[in-house]
Amino acid sequence: MDGLLLVLWVARLLFLLLLYVFLYRVVRTLLRDLRAAAREPTATLGRLVVVASPGSEPPAGHVFALQAITTLGRDVNNSIVVDDPFASTEHAVLTSRDGTWYIEDLGSTNGSHVNGQAVNGVATIGFGDELQIGQVRFRLERPRV
Amino acid sequence: MTVGTTPVRSVGSAQRGRAGSFGPIRPHWRWVEMRLLLIAALALVVGSISLSGALTGGLTLYDAQTLLTYLAALAAGHVALVLAGRRADQILLPVMGLLGGISLLLMQRLPQDLVTQHWFDMSVGLAQVQLVWLVLGITITSILGIVVRSDSWLRRYKYTWAAAGVGLLLLTFVLGAEVNGQRLTLQVGPFSGQPSEFLKVILVVFLAGYLSENRSLLMEQDTRLGPLRLPPFPYLAPMVVMWAIALGIVVIQRDLGAALLFFGVFLAMVYVATGRVSLVVIGLVLFVLGSLLMANLFDHVRQRIDVWLDPFADPLGAGYQVVQGLHAFARGGLFGTGLGAGLPTIGGRIPIPEVHTDFPLAALGEELGIIGILAILGLYLVLVERGLRIGAAAADDFRALLAVGLALVVGIQAFIIAAGNLKVLPLTGVTLPFISYGGSSILANSIVVGLLLALSDKGVEPPPRPSSGGRWQRLRQRDSI
Repeated sequence: MDGLLLVLWVARLLFLLLLYVFLYRVVRTLLRDLRAAAREPTATLGRLVVVASPGSEPPAGHVFALQAITTLGRDVNNSIVVDDPFASTEHAVLTSRDGTWYIEDLGSTNGSHVNGQAVNGVATIGFGDELQIGQVRFRLERPRV
Repeated sequence: MTVGTTPVRSVGSAQRGRAGSFGPIRPHWRWVEMRLLLIAALALVVGSISLSGALTGGLTLYDAQTLLTYLAALAAGHVALVLAGRRADQILLPVMGLLGGISLLLMQRLPQDLVTQHWFDMSVGLAQVQLVWLVLGITITSILGIVVRSDSWLRRYKYTWAAAGVGLLLLTFVLGAEVNGQRLTLQVGPFSGQPSEFLKVILVVFLAGYLSENRSLLMEQDTRLGPLRLPPFPYLAPMVVMWAIALGIVVIQRDLGAALLFFGVFLAMVYVATGRVSLVVIGLVLFVLGSLLMANLFDHVRQRIDVWLDPFADPLGAGYQVVQGLHAFARGGLFGTGLGAGLPTIGGRIPIPEVHTDFPLAALGEELGIIGILAILGLYLVLVERGLRIGAAAADDFRALLAVGLALVVGIQAFIIAAGNLKVLPLTGVTLPFISYGGSSILANSIVVGLLLALSDKGVEPPPRPSSGGRWQRLRQRDSI
């Protein structure tokens, strides 16, 4: 066979092969990335980030992983203890249903506020919204996947 | 449980961050990106040698200057990202670079007189013009990936963006130049472009803003229509408006592809935001009904559908382009004829009309075979996967929807034109992202990848505090009682 034709034939197949080498390397990186994400302990429903807190409990910057029913208040039996003089013993409860979060004020003295609006009864709360309990401000964030 | 910083300092640093000081910039190596770029460069060099061997019989780089300029631009983009030190995604740039490189090889291989531009007394052919667009695209992607640190300019002004988009659309309706019976191109002075390419980015930004704000309302199920449970009626209005706009584009602009793309992206984003299949089903049913109506009312739509159903009914007339495309795929077979060895010319021209914009996949199918086509489709799949991952890791709904929407707009567009070339869907005139010839297409898709790069950075500014007391929040409160 002609030498040039042979080289051409090899170059042609090598080009295709290199495309797949590239794809293989990419997919390997993607898989490693996915496995690393799966190993991380995740809150599957959402996270509550403390934006500002005048007291020590909860500390500002702390991130709470949320369960489907998360209670907030000054009492130590709450899922998230809000040690603030303006928070009630059983202040509010966050519940998740079908991927949507709801906030319910449990008849607290000073009320719960979403983005500065007082909550009457049950209200939806979206990711990125800000929740204020007493003087403590939280932000609801999407779960890390 | 305890965190070292005191609350006061923590709040202060957050505010300082918002004020715009980002601390010292430290270079951050991007090994994964570098390795992938090296493999991509090697593949492109081998491709260029194979092209040169087939066209000229010499085993050197085919038009070395063009390819080396492109590789240098990629390397410069990589170095810029390293120096900027942001921890952005490392897969996006190499994938975009490889797709662009394949495009460059294809454009070098096609007859150069398909496009001639005159710049400063120079007559520039197809590959050179494409090279300029690709290098500009890489520049835009790198700059966006480095500079964009906040999304509030997209988030806050979503209605402004939407207004700009509608204005652009109307401008095209009125002033657009008609090419092949389609009114797509807008010419302003010496510049001409296809606004629909940029419109798709604006659409994603607007939808991400609108859906993230009204997500909870769309998820309620107030209205009943037979077995279907729908959200409160006023919040369905945007869906109807979207549907009307899509059909309007078909009627006035005669642009089936853009209509399909816009509506597809819209449905996908609604599904991602609400997780409700019923909305998607309603949208699809509406779209199919609308299309059937269109097919009966308008000749150009019916003709497209007839060609799709049986291109061989009129192989030398209406079905010519599709038939030639199918023949190209058939000649390619499993491994293809090799770059530069396929696509026989008839009287000096490639038999497929508009091969550089509408049918690049058919040309690649002939020269790289189904093996090569599958690799290229795999590259688009990787782009979409990265977008979905970036969306899943985002802190709030707006960013998640933005990332997912941006990735899907590229993925759906690639699907529509690939399916059109392969006779899976009726042929529509959208471009194959990063591969088709065309400035608007490459620049718009580069903006998409650049925004994805910026969104993927873990250190990006936290979402701003939602404004209080908006109309939608009062509605939320009222509905919740």
